[in-house]
Amino acid sequence: MNKRLINFIFTMLFIILVGSWIYTSVRNEFLKQSRAAQRRTVETVTAGFPSEYEHIDEWLNILSEEANDYKIAFISEIPMPGEKLSSKPEGDSELVNLIETSQNDSEFSKGFDNAAYEEIYRSVKNWKVGTKEEQALFFAPAVSLKTHELEGALIFAFSTDGEQGFMRMLNTLFVGAFILFAVVIWQLMLSRDPIVGFALAGLFLMTLTFVAYPLFEALRLSFIENGKFSLSIWKTILQSEGYMSALWGSLKLGCWTATFSTIVGFLFAFVVSRTNAPCKKLISTMGVLPVISPPFSLTLSIILLFGNNGLITRWLRVIGLNFSIYGLPGLVLVQTMGMFPIAFLTLVGVLQAIDSTYEEASLNLSATRFKTFSSITFPLAIPGLLSAWLLVFTTSLADFANPLLLAGDLKVLSLESYIEVTGMNRLGHGAALSILLLLPTLTAFLAQRFWVSKRSFVTVTGKPSGRITELTTPTVRRILTGIIFVIVFMLILLYGTIFAGCFVKNWGIDYTFSLENITEAITRSKDALFDTVTLAAAATPIAGIIAMIAALLIVRRKFHGKRFLEMLLMTPFALPGTLVGISYILAFNHAPIILVGTAAIIIINYVIRELPVGIEGGIASLRQIDPSIEEAATDLGADQATVFRTVVLPLVRPAFLSSLSYTFVRSMTAVSAVIFLISARWYHLTVLIYNFSENLRFGLASVLSTVLIIIVFGAFGLMRLLVRENTNLMKNVT
Amino acid sequence: MSNTKSKSVTFENIKKIFKDPQSGQDVAAVGGVSFRIEPGELVTLLGPSGCGKTTVLRMLSGFEQPTSGKIFIGEDDVTDTPPNKRDTAMVFQSYGLFPHMNVSENVAYGLKLRKVPANEISEKVQRFLEMVGLESMAKRPPSRLSGGQQQRVALARSLIVEPSVLLLDEPLSNLDALLREQMRVEIRRLQKSLGITAMYVTHDRVEAMSLSDRIIVMKLGKIIQMGTPSDIYRDPVNTFVAGFVGKVAFFPCEVKDIASKCHVEIKGKHFEAPRWSEKLKYGDKALIMARPESLSIGEAGEGVEDGIVTANIYLGNSVETWVKTDLGNVLVQIDNPDVKKIWNEGEKVSLSFDPSLTKVLVDDLERE
Repeated sequence: MNKRLINFIFTMLFIILVGSWIYTSVRNEFLKQSRAAQRRTVETVTAGFPSEYEHIDEWLNILSEEANDYKIAFISEIPMPGEKLSSKPEGDSELVNLIETSQNDSEFSKGFDNAAYEEIYRSVKNWKVGTKEEQALFFAPAVSLKTHELEGALIFAFSTDGEQGFMRMLNTLFVGAFILFAVVIWQLMLSRDPIVGFALAGLFLMTLTFVAYPLFEALRLSFIENGKFSLSIWKTILQSEGYMSALWGSLKLGCWTATFSTIVGFLFAFVVSRTNAPCKKLISTMGVLPVISPPFSLTLSIILLFGNNGLITRWLRVIGLNFSIYGLPGLVLVQTMGMFPIAFLTLVGVLQAIDSTYEEASLNLSATRFKTFSSITFPLAIPGLLSAWLLVFTTSLADFANPLLLAGDLKVLSLESYIEVTGMNRLGHGAALSILLLLPTLTAFLAQRFWVSKRSFVTVTGKPSGRITELTTPTVRRILTGIIFVIVFMLILLYGTIFAGCFVKNWGIDYTFSLENITEAITRSKDALFDTVTLAAAATPIAGIIAMIAALLIVRRKFHGKRFLEMLLMTPFALPGTLVGISYILAFNHAPIILVGTAAIIIINYVIRELPVGIEGGIASLRQIDPSIEEAATDLGADQATVFRTVVLPLVRPAFLSSLSYTFVRSMTAVSAVIFLISARWYHLTVLIYNFSENLRFGLASVLSTVLIIIVFGAFGLMRLLVRENTNLMKNVT
Repeated sequence: MSNTKSKSVTFENIKKIFKDPQSGQDVAAVGGVSFRIEPGELVTLLGPSGCGKTTVLRMLSGFEQPTSGKIFIGEDDVTDTPPNKRDTAMVFQSYGLFPHMNVSENVAYGLKLRKVPANEISEKVQRFLEMVGLESMAKRPPSRLSGGQQQRVALARSLIVEPSVLLLDEPLSNLDALLREQMRVEIRRLQKSLGITAMYVTHDRVEAMSLSDRIIVMKLGKIIQMGTPSDIYRDPVNTFVAGFVGKVAFFPCEVKDIASKCHVEIKGKHFEAPRWSEKLKYGDKALIMARPESLSIGEAGEGVEDGIVTANIYLGNSVETWVKTDLGNVLVQIDNPDVKKIWNEGEKVSLSFDPSLTKVLVDDLERE
C-alpha cells in the first residue's frame, strides 16, 4: 500500500512538472503573440502619424472612432525626466486624465524616455483607464513623415480582456486536466475496482456541474445588481404588489387544484378498491390516462369548448350566459382534470393496502356501513389523503403549460418568472421569482416525503387479502359511479375535441370538414418534430443507463458522500421546471461552460430532470435482487462493467425499460424548462403548439397535440409489451 | 481425476476491522488469523454466527479487503487482487443463480468470460451437468428447479471454471434435512474426485464433522482450534470447543498429579484421564469432560454425580437419557438399548464415565 502511494505521489509530481512546463510555454507564447500583435498595431498607427501638425486633432478623432481595442492620446512635448508635462495631452479624455495624474510614475518616465529615443515601450504593470481596469499602456514616438522629426509621443491603452480571458481559460483547463489526471491515476493505481471509482467520480462531477452549479448561479444572480452584491432584487420583489399577488395566485391555484384533485382521486380510488362497481378497469385506465397526456392538450380542448369563441360558450351565449374560462376557475378545472391521477394513484395504493379485516371487524360489531367508512376506512386513509394533496399541490405550483394559455388576468409565479426572463430580459428577477416558487414547492415536497409518509397507518402484512368488503349500498354505489362516469365522459369529450379540432377548417368560425390543418401542420412542424424526437431519443438511453448505474452504486456500494450524492441526484425532482430552465441559461451562457443554444443543454436538462424517477425505480428493483447474484458473476471472473451488462441490466430490465419510456415521454412533452433552452436551431414541438395556440391557430395546435398523444401512448404501449415479454423470468428473483 | 491445478491457501496474520455504523467505533470482525490449507484439502470454518468465519471466506474470495496481513493462493500474494481476478469460485448460501439465464447458460457463464470456444463450452457444460445429475434440466430456468437442484447448478457453475480454490458459504443451510445429507455426500465426492482445494463455512457441527479433512473452530474473530474432526471431538482445547462440536458433560475435579496421565479427584473418587490441557498444574480446580457415549447410569450414590431421569428418547440404535443433576441437564447415550437397562423417568440415578475417553480442561465456564 505504501509503495503504491509513493508511486502515485511520484507520478503526480512528474505530471505537475510536465504540466507546468507546458502551461508556462503555452502562456508565454500566447502573451508574446498577443503583445506582438499590439505592438504591430502601435507601429502601424504610429506610421500613419500626420505630417501636418494641424491635422493631428482630426487624425486622433478618426482613430478613436475606428479603433475598438485601444484608446489613444498624444502629447506634443515629451517631458524630460523630473519635469512636468508642459501642455495638456490630446485624445481620449479618460486616457488624458490618467496621463495627467500619473505622469510622475516611474513607468511613465520610462515610457517618455523610450519615446524620446524613438523606441516603443510597453508598461510592465496594467493601469486603470477611466472605469476600465487592467489596461496595458504603450508609449510610442510620434515622428512626422515629412520631416522625420520627433513631434511628441503617442500613448496607447490596450484592453487586456482577451489576455485575461485566455489566462482564465488556460487556468481552468489545466486545473481541470490536473484533477482529471489525479482522479484517473489514483483510481488506476490505488483502487481495486477502478471502474466503480470512475463511475462515482463521473456521477459527482455530473451532479455538481448540472445540478448544484446552476442552482448556485441562479441564487447568486438573484443577489447581484450591476455586478455587485445587493439585496435590491429581493427587495423589489418582496415589496412589489404584482409579484406578491403572483405568489398568492400560485398558492390559491395550488390549494384549489389540490383539494379538488384529492376529492376526485379519492372517489376513483374508493370505487376501484372498495366496491364492486362495474367497469372498474375502464375507471382505472381513465384515472391514469391524463397523467401521461401532453401539456396543452387539455387546455387546448377547454379553450376549444369554453374559450371566447368556443363551441359551448356560443351555445351558452345564446341562452344569455356570459363568462370567461380564462383565470382561476378555468385553470383549477384544467389542472384538476390533468392532476387528479396523481392523487388517484397515491390513494389507490393506500386503500388497497388497508386490510379489509378491519372493516369486517367493524361491520361485525354491528356498525353501519357509513359508520364503518367514517370511523375506520377514512381515518386510515388520512395520511394518504394528505400525501396526495401535497403531491398535487407541488405539481400545480410548478405547472407552467396550463397557466401559459389559460391564466388570463391571474398572475402565477411560474408564468411571471418566464415573462421576466423572456419578455423583460431580467434574468435576476426571473431567478429570484422561481426561487420564491421553490419555497412552497420544496416545503410541500419535504413534508410529504419525510413527515406524512412516515405517519402512515398502512402496514404491509405480506398477505394481501383478495376480498373486498362491500362498504356501499347499491344506491350509494350508483351515485358514486354516476359521478365518476360524468368525469370520465368529460375526459373523453376533451380528448375527442382535440381530435375533432384536427379536421375542422377554422374552429369557432367555420366548422366544415377539412384536411388543410393536417397538411399545413405537418409541413410547418416537420423540423420541430424531428428535433423533438431526436433530442428525446438522445436523452432516453443516457438517462436510463445513468439511472441504473447510480441505483446500483447507491444500493450496493459503500462510499463517502453517498447521502450527498443521493440528495444531488434527487433534487431535480422537487424543482419547478421554470427554475431549472432559468438556472441553466444563467449558468451555461458564460465561461467556463457555454452550452446555451446547443442540443447538449436540452439533452442534459432532460437527463438531469428525469433521472430521479429512474433511480428510484432502479433502487426499488435492485433491493429485490440478492447481491450474491452479482457477486457470483464477479467471482466467476466478470469485471464490474461486465457484471453490469450481463447480470444487473437484464435483472432490472422492467425498471430500466420504464425509466426509458418515462424519460422519452417526459422529454417529448417537456415545456417548462425547455422553453428557456430552445433555440432557432433546436426547437420543441410543445413550444410550437403554444405558438399556434397563441396565434389562435387552434387547428394546427390540435393536430400537433394529437401527434404528441399518439407518440406518448405508443411509447408506453411499446414499453408494456417489452416488459411483459420477460415477466415469467422476473418473478423469481431471489 | 486428480487436479494438478489445486493450490494451497495461506493466511498470514489477517485482521479485518469494520466501522460500526451506529457508534462509529472500530470492531474487529477478524482479529489476527493465520492458517494454511494444503492443496486438495477441504477445510471447514466452524463457529457460532458472528465469529468471523464468513468474513474469512469473503476475504479469500476478494469481496472483503483485509485491514492488515497477507493472503496467498499457492505462492501468489492475492491480498490486493480483486475478486474477478482471483482463481477462486464460490458457492453462495442463496446460490446466486442468474435468474434470467437457464441452467446451461448459468453453468457456461464463467467459461464464456474466459473466451473458451463455443463447442468446447457446450461439451464441458454437458459433462459437468452430468456430473451433478442435471443433464435433463439444461434448458430450464432456475426458478423451476428445486432447492437441491439449484444448489447443484451453483456447484457445477463454480466447478466448471476449474478454480484453484472452491469456496462454499453455508451452501446447505437453505435445504431440508434429508437433502442436506445427500448434498453433503455429493459435495465431498465431487471435491475429492476433482482433487480441489476447498474452504467450507458452516455453523452446523455435523456438517463440519462429516465433510472436512480439517476443521477450524472460530470464536469472536479468533481461531480457537484447528485439527481433524476426531481431534476436535476427542481433544478440544477448551470447554467452548468441547461444547460446540458435540454434547458434553463437565464434572468439576481437582488435579492431583500430572505424569503420563492426568490424575484427578472428584468427590473422593480418583480417575486417570489420558488427555489434559497443557496449562493445568497440580492442585488446580479443573473440569473433566465426558461425551454422552462415555457416560453410564447406575444406582444412586454409585457414580460421581446423582440426578433424576427426566426423559428417555428412543432412537432405535440407541436411547438418549436426560438426567437432571446439580450440574445441569446431562445427556447419556445408551447404545444397544435392547440388551441394556433403561432407567425410568423420575428414578434417582447416578452418573459415571469411562475415564479413558475423557479429557481434563481448564475450568473456564461462565457461571452466574
